[in-house]
Amino acid sequence: MVHILENGEHFRADNREPEPEPEGFGSGFSINDHLDLLIEVLKRLDGRSLGAAACVCRQWCAIARNDSLWEHLCFRHVSPPPVGVRPVVSALGGYRRLYMVCVRPVLSRLKRRRLGGESEVVRRVWNQHEVELSLSLFCVEYYERLLVGGGRVAGDSPSSSLKFLCMPVNV
Amino acid sequence: MEHLSYVKPLYAPFLCFTHHSFSLYSLSISISPHISTSIHNIFIFSYSYSPSTHPHFYMGPTPYNSSNSSSSACSSSTKPPPPQPPDQMDHLLAGAGYKVRSNDLTQVAERLEHLETVMVKSSPVDISDIGNDAVYYNPTDLASWVDSLLTELNPNVSGSGSGSGSGSGSGFVSGSGPAYVSDPVMNDMNNVYGEFGQQVVTPIEEDVSIRLVHVLMTCAEAVQRGDMSLAGLLIDDLQGLLGRVNSGCGIGKVGSFFVDALSRRVVNSPQNGVVQVDLSAYENEILYHHYYEACPYLKFAHFTANQAILEAFDGQDCVHVIDFNLMQGLQWPALIQALALRPGGPPLLRLTGIGPPSLDGRDSLREIGLKLAELARSVNVRFAFRGVAASRLDDVKPWMLQVSPKEAVAVNSIMQLHKLLGPGGPRGPPVDLVLDWIRDLNPRILMVVEQESNHNQPEFLDRFTESLYYYSTMFDSLDACTAQPEKTLAELYIQREICNVVCCEGSARVERHEPLVRWRERLTGAGFAPLHLGSNAFKQARMLLTLFSAEGYSVEENEGCLTLGWHSRPLIAASAWQAIPKPSVVTTGR
Repeated sequence: MVHILENGEHFRADNREPEPEPEGFGSGFSINDHLDLLIEVLKRLDGRSLGAAACVCRQWCAIARNDSLWEHLCFRHVSPPPVGVRPVVSALGGYRRLYMVCVRPVLSRLKRRRLGGESEVVRRVWNQHEVELSLSLFCVEYYERLLVGGGRVAGDSPSSSLKFLCMPVNV
Repeated sequence: MEHLSYVKPLYAPFLCFTHHSFSLYSLSISISPHISTSIHNIFIFSYSYSPSTHPHFYMGPTPYNSSNSSSSACSSSTKPPPPQPPDQMDHLLAGAGYKVRSNDLTQVAERLEHLETVMVKSSPVDISDIGNDAVYYNPTDLASWVDSLLTELNPNVSGSGSGSGSGSGSGFVSGSGPAYVSDPVMNDMNNVYGEFGQQVVTPIEEDVSIRLVHVLMTCAEAVQRGDMSLAGLLIDDLQGLLGRVNSGCGIGKVGSFFVDALSRRVVNSPQNGVVQVDLSAYENEILYHHYYEACPYLKFAHFTANQAILEAFDGQDCVHVIDFNLMQGLQWPALIQALALRPGGPPLLRLTGIGPPSLDGRDSLREIGLKLAELARSVNVRFAFRGVAASRLDDVKPWMLQVSPKEAVAVNSIMQLHKLLGPGGPRGPPVDLVLDWIRDLNPRILMVVEQESNHNQPEFLDRFTESLYYYSTMFDSLDACTAQPEKTLAELYIQREICNVVCCEGSARVERHEPLVRWRERLTGAGFAPLHLGSNAFKQARMLLTLFSAEGYSVEENEGCLTLGWHSRPLIAASAWQAIPKPSVVTTGR
């Protein structure tokens, strides 16, 4: 059960033990009845939290798989925002896959280079080149899956040409 | 400070290297664990090295300049030369202007190494002080010079023994085996190298590596002279040395490939080289694919080429790309995607892929074409594919490409043009003919990516030396890079290149790499004008490299061309060209 506390600013999700609804929350507000609000909240999360949110319950999972959320995540900090990208990305496997396979490793690799290894999440603005590079790598990855499988995406692990992104940096 | 291992003017007299005099001399200097630096140090002075680039560290005496090209001591195994009495000044170093007693040599070498590590640890301020007092010390008396510098820089150091000639435990073992000294100095050095995160190589191993390189060179020289019996003996020697060195990485691995190639040449066909066994197209594709994944060279080539082609196609509605070596078409998805996203919408894209005919019934060209078409259809780019099967590039005739006059043509050659530099037919070398018909197609851009090295020299020894240096750098970069499975097959791909350069001759030798300057001459001579690769390509290349885990790669811009290299040694160069239209023939009709 999820509860929104009185000031409405944070929520707690706990899917292990269903908690009894406490007294005093007379209105019985449940976020699950207001999916547009839920989506607004989810839109502002970072990738890891969005992934965690997808593990809450089936309804949340279905919502979190909505590609527009991930589109928002991928290009939230892009300046200027890319135009016309959506049909291409959808054709190549969707924004969620783009994030998992390309954006997240690219960002973390670039950030690590810039900050020299600090691990906190820093809001940074991509530039056009980084976006283009990520999209190109994504396209190459899609093509490799075509070469190998002859079919649509199977699983979330990237094909071999992007393995270099996942590998730990040589110390 | 990060490339300090390459700055060794202090060692200049010890590292002059000549092809012709191998003195098996007793100076073992452990300089740096990386194989390419050991080879680099050996070769560094036969390739114009200027000590003036690092003013802080250059304190050598002027005799160095004059003896730069003359023979001097080489570092090798520890067998003392029989005729020289130990008390006398070493005659080879005397030729370079240094007076060192022969029995002090190991000691002096060790203290030089210690001096180097101390200098590495000290701040630049301390060192520049010394640099200003260059005259104060007398470098000719090398032993005391090193001692005085050491005490100056590091007053706490108690040197390993005092002065010269007292044989203070760092004994010079005459006769058998390398002299390994367990000494606080040596341990200190090993620790310092450990700090730099490089492999710690013991002095013995460094010794064997240097000897390995020397014997390789002697063997190559013997092969060039035609002395196959000596070459055979040396190959046995080499096999023995390979057993003593770590052949999983570094010089051991590269060395084993070169030894293998040399032995094939010596055993099979002494003068005329061997014909390399052809792999099937499928096997070639697998090796190529792993090479693509294991290191960034091909990715750099593809992305740079795509960026240049994209810019050349700006505003065009009908575009035609001709790929001289389609392989699996890994270059083209990125271009298709970039064209799909370009402002103004995608053009009609035609792709003509040239590849070897497949003998096993699979029409691989057509299959790749279908996959690319599927991709293009997904992203809404109008696409047409044509495959041209030809075993050699000069078999392709322009009419096979069916270029229409309305379209913008781009010709893409990734490491293919050098294969045409072999012995030509009656009408001239194949490359000129091919460049001629490319020019006739009037392409908006001709993209040429080639290995940046000179493996096409007429003399075998020069080719051998150059390729040893080039491939050891490449293996260095590969070592720093990737996970296991891709690496082995990528190495196999490189090994085939090495084998071709070393073993084969005549028309069988296709890996005839030439450096960028030669290609520039050739292309301008053939009627092409250079196109500058823009800053977008440069930024993209740099960004691509930051994604790779190894930090030694560097992208440089060289008169409008981009080169990718490992630690300032360029390994692959990408350049773009535009055809100058031929002057039309004016017929005077009368």
